[in-house]
Amino acid sequence: MFKTLFLIFGIGVILLYTMASLFGWEFANAGSRSRLGTPFFYGGGFRGGK
Amino acid sequence: MSVLKANCPSCAAPIEFQKGSTIVLICPYCRSAVARTDRGLDDLGKVAEIMDSESPLKLGLKGQYKGQRFELTGRAQLRHEMGGVWDEWYATFSNGWVGWLAEAQGRFYLTFYQPLPQGAQVPSFEHLQLGQAVNGIPNQTPLMVTEKGVATSVAADGEIPYKLEPNERSNYADLSGKNNAFGTIDYSMNPPWVFVGNQVTLEEMGLGDARPVKREAQRVSAQGMGCPNCGGPLTLTAPDKAERVTCPYCNSLLDVNQGKLKWLKALKPPPSPPEFVLPIGAEGTFMGDARFKIIGAVVRSVTVDGIKYFWHEYLLYNPMIGFRWLVHSDNHWNFVEPVNPAEVESGQIYGTGATVTYKGKKFKIFQDAPAVVEFVQGEFYWRVEQGETVRAVDFIAPPLVLSQESTKNEVNWSVGVYQTNADIEKAFGVADLPKPWSIAPNQPFTGGFYIKAGFALLGLLFLSAIFTTLIGGFGNVPLNQTITLPPTTSATTPQTIFSQPFELKGNRNVRITANAPVSNSYAEFDVDLINEQNQEIESLFIPIEYYSGTDSDGSWTEGSQTQDATLSSLPAGKYTLRVEGTWQNFQQPISVNVKVEQNVARGVNFCCAFVVLAILPILALIRKFSFESRRWSESMFGSTSGGSDDD
Repeated sequence: MFKTLFLIFGIGVILLYTMASLFGWEFANAGSRSRLGTPFFYGGGFRGGK
Repeated sequence: MSVLKANCPSCAAPIEFQKGSTIVLICPYCRSAVARTDRGLDDLGKVAEIMDSESPLKLGLKGQYKGQRFELTGRAQLRHEMGGVWDEWYATFSNGWVGWLAEAQGRFYLTFYQPLPQGAQVPSFEHLQLGQAVNGIPNQTPLMVTEKGVATSVAADGEIPYKLEPNERSNYADLSGKNNAFGTIDYSMNPPWVFVGNQVTLEEMGLGDARPVKREAQRVSAQGMGCPNCGGPLTLTAPDKAERVTCPYCNSLLDVNQGKLKWLKALKPPPSPPEFVLPIGAEGTFMGDARFKIIGAVVRSVTVDGIKYFWHEYLLYNPMIGFRWLVHSDNHWNFVEPVNPAEVESGQIYGTGATVTYKGKKFKIFQDAPAVVEFVQGEFYWRVEQGETVRAVDFIAPPLVLSQESTKNEVNWSVGVYQTNADIEKAFGVADLPKPWSIAPNQPFTGGFYIKAGFALLGLLFLSAIFTTLIGGFGNVPLNQTITLPPTTSATTPQTIFSQPFELKGNRNVRITANAPVSNSYAEFDVDLINEQNQEIESLFIPIEYYSGTDSDGSWTEGSQTQDATLSSLPAGKYTLRVEGTWQNFQQPISVNVKVEQNVARGVNFCCAFVVLAILPILALIRKFSFESRRWSESMFGSTSGGSDDD
């Protein structure tokens, strides 16, 4: 059971990463001294921003 | 020779040699072995009656092997010098072949006489060595000696294709090769006769429907044949195969000879009372749906560095399959089956680093020590003795353990498969077996899945990164403009300026980089991305500060003249940047280079996904290393090799 959950979780992470790459979603802003960093959903896409 | 009707020279009863290949016929009336010769019939003496057996075979049974029909026409029982008997059935084929079908411990070996090529000869019995390859025997695979011994003809029935002398003793050597090849050298002839063939199944011989003779366990009555020492009644589960039985009432070791019991000795009490967790007589299911009964239990020990380690072995019996073992050590369990020695590929098999290969799998040496029988209970198919010692060498490839047990006359290999407590509880329908307290030599590491699956997922992540990078292409720069903010009245009064309009594409992240030539001062910019279609604003804050100087440690710098901020994708369309700045040297204008990029390759998403996916496999790797260290700390050949492929 835990193995199945691990696989589902892992595949979910990869899918999320792929979607983020294809749709330009940023998980967080890595710019130094930025006040960004908290991801949130905005408009039509997952967006990290100020 | 042809069919011959005659009268028994011993009792004058009518007898008939039905098969042309028959040399000896056992008179069904007086049990004389009658041989036909050129001069007539010879009475070779009486033979004992065949001992009861649960063999699925019987005289007259018809089968088919390699397209040729055959009939079982004769049977002889031979006694092994170490105890125990085996059956040899004679299969007369429709095309004239005569096959020898040996049945021992539930296994069947079909062999045929194999004349040796001109000039070829086999080694003499005295010079034959266990493990030696016997060259000169025409066979598809090389054959090696796995056993040599002395057989005694004790009983017979039907028609026998050779001159069977009652109670005749003869030397023999058993050979085995890969792919179940089997052979025997019969030294009762001069020169010795060689028989080669294969281990076969009943199905391969068209005898798959044959069933063992069903009967109740033979109960030896207290009055007639109970324990000769205390008179207690005994029950034998495999009376035709049992050689030794212990009396549970007086702890005597008894010899079994054709159903007769003879007191041998009182068993010495073991160092501590054996606590067999499974009772004699318990039945368990293994190998799919085969039911095995526990008919004997042994306490064995090895002594390593002066310390004695004990374990229990249960002898399992199934009339169709034969004998198997269940080994119980430190509350770990192994189901053990015999292995054809020729299937084990070995070079140097003793000492540190030794390995053997079985069925393509490499096994590492784990233990090599004399194993001693400390105590026995139940019945056994060999003449078991307290103190019986063999050299036991264990090789592991979890969840398997390959064991070699050798004496001067015999080398046996067996393979054990690790069983969990749950497996044993399910097999025997019991509950709450004591839990293991250590790592067993061949205990599989159960976290291997998380290592393999985890690294497979990480591989997929890399592939995804490559794929999306190729699909998305490299970044583009919609805006790269230098703007100048005029002087202001104070460091907190902002100046604002707009960039030229530019196009942003959808589904691409956006990075805005600001570069200002500040030196030992700061500048702060609030940057708004204004969508010209709907006037929606996305705001960013980009602070810049840069300081430098020299001190006793030399020159130093702090901060940077360039900073950036990154956004998720915005809706495609035309945008303008509104840059609102404050800076320390407000009396001077400040030039700011603003660059807007899209499709920026950033590792943060990848790093986050990588870290999340790597946590579990890394934890599993750490656990595996610790697990393997504990496993090999118990070995005589301590190795911290963690590379065992155990899942």
